[in-house]
Amino acid sequence: MVHLSGEEKGYINAIWSKVSIDQTGAEALGRLLIVYPWTSRFFDHFGDLSSAKSVMGNAKVQGHGAKVLTSFGDAVKNMDNLKGTFAKLSELHCDKLHVDPENFKLLGNILVICLAEHFGKEFTPEVQAAWQKLVAGVATALAHKYH
Amino acid sequence: MFSAEEQSHIVQIWNYLSGHEAIFGTELLQRLFTVYPSTKSYFPPLIPGLELTQMQNHGEQILMAVGVAVDNMYDLRTALSGLADLHAYGLRVEPTNFHFLIHCFQVMLASHLQSEYTAEMHAAWDKFLTNVAVVLTEKYH
Repeated sequence: MVHLSGEEKGYINAIWSKVSIDQTGAEALGRLLIVYPWTSRFFDHFGDLSSAKSVMGNAKVQGHGAKVLTSFGDAVKNMDNLKGTFAKLSELHCDKLHVDPENFKLLGNILVICLAEHFGKEFTPEVQAAWQKLVAGVATALAHKYH
Repeated sequence: MFSAEEQSHIVQIWNYLSGHEAIFGTELLQRLFTVYPSTKSYFPPLIPGLELTQMQNHGEQILMAVGVAVDNMYDLRTALSGLADLHAYGLRVEPTNFHFLIHCFQVMLASHLQSEYTAEMHAAWDKFLTNVAVVLTEKYH
């Protein structure tokens, strides 16, 4: 169970209010597939993922990235109940998608890097720390229903 | 081990950092200690009033070692042998911590370079630092 202070929630909301979900979602999923190419095992049906250029230009990657980050928005709205918020998605990732939960940590870290890229100096160590707590909480919540 | 394109990205990133090892080394440690407080257990205690100087000194050392690695990226084992000994027999840093350091390095680069920090550069630097970490932990067993 992640506990975020008022200050940490403030940092998270300040950043989130300025995030372009479609753009950042596509960026994050794209970078995951480029930096950790083995993650493409879950996306063989997406078509050409053979190069950085093809990954970033892939419409299915862009669409799915946007979908994933939209869902992440639920985490920001429910920071005190991540396990409840992601219970159904946890079951889906275990029972239907068969995703190793380690991948949630990878994507969470990639998202943090994308945010750092967008927000530059505003993404201070303290802001980073708050976001790291949130992405770790989401990763744990998504793994919670695994059996 | 590294393609010509990867080598080019790695060198490009190092050219950005080179000459500013103390500045970037300090920020690297600030991020590491703030985000992953358990990593402080490997460093001398931070003395109130002296923390910045301590982090500058040590951060600079780390960044300079990264520079040595860049200059010797095709023979990391030889170039980093002394550091590998230090980490295996002296520091004995739990390997997970290298991932924390690598991640904070990426966040730092992304926040400074912003849109210039392409996915290709990110991937090349990740591969490079991961290889450095492998060499530094090779003598652990």
